[in-house]
Amino acid sequence: MTPWLDRLASRCRALFARRELDHDFEAEVEHHLAMTADEYRRAGVGEAEARQRARADFGGVTQARELHRETRGLPILEEMGRDLAFALRLGRREPRFATIALLILAIGIGLNTTVFSLVDTVLLRPVPFAQADRLVFIHNWYDGISFHDLSGVTSQVATWEGIQETNRSLEQIEAYDPFSVRQTYRLTGSGEPETVLGLNVSPGLFPLLGVSPQVGRLFENGDALKNAPGRIVLSDQLWRRRYHADPTLVGRTILINGAAVEVVGVMPHIDPFSSAFFPAVRIDFFQALRKDVERDWGNTVVQIGRAKPGFSIDAVRADLSLALALAKKRDSRRDQYCSIKAMPLQEWISGNLRRPLSFLWIAAGLVLGIVCFNLGGLLLARGAARRREMAVRCALGAGRHRLARQLLTECGLLVATGSLLGASLAAGFIRFLSVRSAVEIPLLQNLRLDGAALGFTVVLGALTTFLCGALPAWKLAQVDDLQESLREDARGSTGGRQRSRLRGMLVVSEVALAAVLAVSAGLTVRSFFQLLHVDLGFQPRDLIAVRLDLIGDSNRPENVNALLAKVAALPGVEHAGLTDCIPVERDRSWGLYPVNRENPKDQRYAGAHVRLISRGLFAAMGTPLLAGRDFTDLDRMDSTPVVIINQSLARSFWGAENPIGRPVGGLGRGNTVTTVVGVVADVRHDGPETGSGFEMYLPYPQVGETPSWDLLVRTKLTVTTLTAELREGLRSIDPDVPLTKVRTMQSLVDRTLSSRRLMVWLVGGFAALALLLASLGLYGIISYGVNQRTKEIGIRMALGADATTVQGQVVRETLRLALAGLGAGLVGSVVAGRLMQSLLYEVAALDATTYLVAATAVLACATLAGYLPARRAARIDPMVALRTD
Amino acid sequence: MPKEKIELLQGTLDLLVLRTLAGLGPMHGYGIARRIEQASCDALILNQGTIYAALVRLQQGRWIEAEWGASDNNRRAKFYALTARGRRRLELETENWRRTAAMVGRVLADPQTP
Repeated sequence: MTPWLDRLASRCRALFARRELDHDFEAEVEHHLAMTADEYRRAGVGEAEARQRARADFGGVTQARELHRETRGLPILEEMGRDLAFALRLGRREPRFATIALLILAIGIGLNTTVFSLVDTVLLRPVPFAQADRLVFIHNWYDGISFHDLSGVTSQVATWEGIQETNRSLEQIEAYDPFSVRQTYRLTGSGEPETVLGLNVSPGLFPLLGVSPQVGRLFENGDALKNAPGRIVLSDQLWRRRYHADPTLVGRTILINGAAVEVVGVMPHIDPFSSAFFPAVRIDFFQALRKDVERDWGNTVVQIGRAKPGFSIDAVRADLSLALALAKKRDSRRDQYCSIKAMPLQEWISGNLRRPLSFLWIAAGLVLGIVCFNLGGLLLARGAARRREMAVRCALGAGRHRLARQLLTECGLLVATGSLLGASLAAGFIRFLSVRSAVEIPLLQNLRLDGAALGFTVVLGALTTFLCGALPAWKLAQVDDLQESLREDARGSTGGRQRSRLRGMLVVSEVALAAVLAVSAGLTVRSFFQLLHVDLGFQPRDLIAVRLDLIGDSNRPENVNALLAKVAALPGVEHAGLTDCIPVERDRSWGLYPVNRENPKDQRYAGAHVRLISRGLFAAMGTPLLAGRDFTDLDRMDSTPVVIINQSLARSFWGAENPIGRPVGGLGRGNTVTTVVGVVADVRHDGPETGSGFEMYLPYPQVGETPSWDLLVRTKLTVTTLTAELREGLRSIDPDVPLTKVRTMQSLVDRTLSSRRLMVWLVGGFAALALLLASLGLYGIISYGVNQRTKEIGIRMALGADATTVQGQVVRETLRLALAGLGAGLVGSVVAGRLMQSLLYEVAALDATTYLVAATAVLACATLAGYLPARRAARIDPMVALRTD
Repeated sequence: MPKEKIELLQGTLDLLVLRTLAGLGPMHGYGIARRIEQASCDALILNQGTIYAALVRLQQGRWIEAEWGASDNNRRAKFYALTARGRRRLELETENWRRTAAMVGRVLADPQTP
């Protein structure tokens, strides 16, 4: 209907029928010429003359053909096609250039796409929950208490219920019990017994977050009633591993701690809840949180709410503090110490990763910068080699724009191919990262190469094309310059000074960026090493933690003692002890106060990590006993209550005075006091990065049983051997005990360092890559310079300069560029160091050693890059050099 | 032949081709070119090659259609014929041209314009 659309359509069709249309045109022209010639012949003109006149009348077959093609097709597209074909031919002709350029690009773009995906998944994109922007995380907070372990951030069920009733800003408040995953259970029935982790969630939590099951159902309110039958939802991972993804499992029962519970559903394949809230923890099943059961357990829950539309986080905070006050007024049983903090859920999940990931993003950007400069340098060098070609084409009538477009097309093709390779590389990296189940980065499992990341790659590609292509294109398209170059080349002069200055600038920038990355990597690595050498207060090496879920009779103190004695007697076992709370994985705290005999009302409570332990634990962990004694078999239910405390707590309570024999209150029932019998070194319970708080240890026979123990064994045996020995040794005591959670303590400590370790590898890798690329750039420019000056060097050597002088000169020239870059780089590093200050551990941002090492590394790379061409220069044979022209 | 020939005005070739086809029925490219030259009493400089680009343009607008056939001496040639759409186009363009020409003529004849 609209003529222009018809025309466009027919022009597009013409693109695919080129040959046929050309053929038609030729036939028509031939017919035309024959008819004209006929006419001339009829007028009596000779045969040859007639044909000639016919052609003259027609007026140029070639022009007519071009006009015909232009009219019928899409000239711009066809021209682009020709440029592309030319670029491809060129690439095939110079495979080495193409390979290096593509490799550099693929790595630069691949890295950036990967880092972008990571940043996007963890920081930029809303957390993968329904209406995520309105979700708030609500937790307990004790003002004035310095350490905040799990007991400090959880609230009582009563508090949760209270604010549920009294708040006005939230549509819904749900909760989960983070302590519940620290508890493990014994899964028996079909197959080997195994240790599994379960989390208690309120029935409304998953619907609130928008998580739906892949099979069966999640929880209903009825499942949370005090006497409801046991019902659980399996994780996808357990369902696949143990039950071979059998959908008929739903509705059947399985045995957990010996009790039959019904499987009502299976979580989705990629479970956003676990990956966001419990990275690096494998939750095996979920069960409904029963308020009436947990009500008497103290602080057990954290809450997630959805704000009503229009309520900002500040409005929610203000409302919640009012709500809490109101709730306390209504019910005096609610803990007077509790207070409440709220923050956007996104911040809770990834807030502490904002800085490290931003830094990583910047580092990746620097690598891309180096890639661009390097590519620009390569293109510039190649452009110099192609000036003759350009000059000839220009002389033959190719327009300046035409040439520039050709160059941009070449560069675009290169970048497009590089981006494609980079994207596949990124897909590989992303796949690698997303299965790192031991890395404590939330949402890592949700990482994938998606539209945003691909879009980012495309934008990067376009940017790179512009940076790398536009510059050389602009330089080369200066036509006057081109004419000059024809003459220049004819003379074979050294020329192109301006061009080599530009290349020099590019290389200096590369070295500068590489130096910044080298310093940053140095600081990151040094921080990491500092952390590796932190005194944890226990020796994680050669220490194995075995999760023992003892149920029923086997958990009676005398049986536990027998078990421990049996383990300690196993060959290869040096020490063994039990604790209910191993470092890194589990923590909780209780309050206690030093008994003041003069003023019994003075009860200055302190919260301290509490562990129920057996004798021998300190020996097994390698925690030094600083004063007093360890627990013995005589510390029984009916003997004097005793406690061992750590150094920090002893100092805080009694300063420099001897703490042994002092009474503390708050641990036993009523007014019973507990006597301090020992002081041990501080343990960094949460891993090397977090300092120790107050700690205390209680002998388990005096406190009561815990269903889930960790047996710590100091041994040189491997995990497998120890497990086999234990299985054999424990058969007579408890044949069903699962031994599936047997880990080295080192692996647990490593887990706390996992995101930092990943960072070290990434930043270190970036720096290594940057140094390599900068060296390549230096090598390129120096080697090119030597080639250009072969004749000059030949003359100088003929005049008596010796090989060493020539070699030294080339290396010096390299170092001159490198030093310029290094200078700029070190200044940049000072800025970068300030940005990364908060990521460092016990290393100054201006750490002299790091700067020195980084500078040495840069200069060493530069020397190597300069040495290779220098050696070539020194070997120039004057006779050969002068003869070649 | 007159001494000075007239260069064809931009865009008018298409109109001339349409008119020729409307008057004489299906023709091949050579015939159209000759016919235009003859009709202008050889007063027109026609670069004959450009006729083929004009024919492509007219086909793209579906104002004419082409078909291979046999011409004099049994030569194979492409014959172009006007479509209904082309006939409407011709009327429209002819009217346009007349108005333009009349307007230009009036301005040129105006004694007030120096």
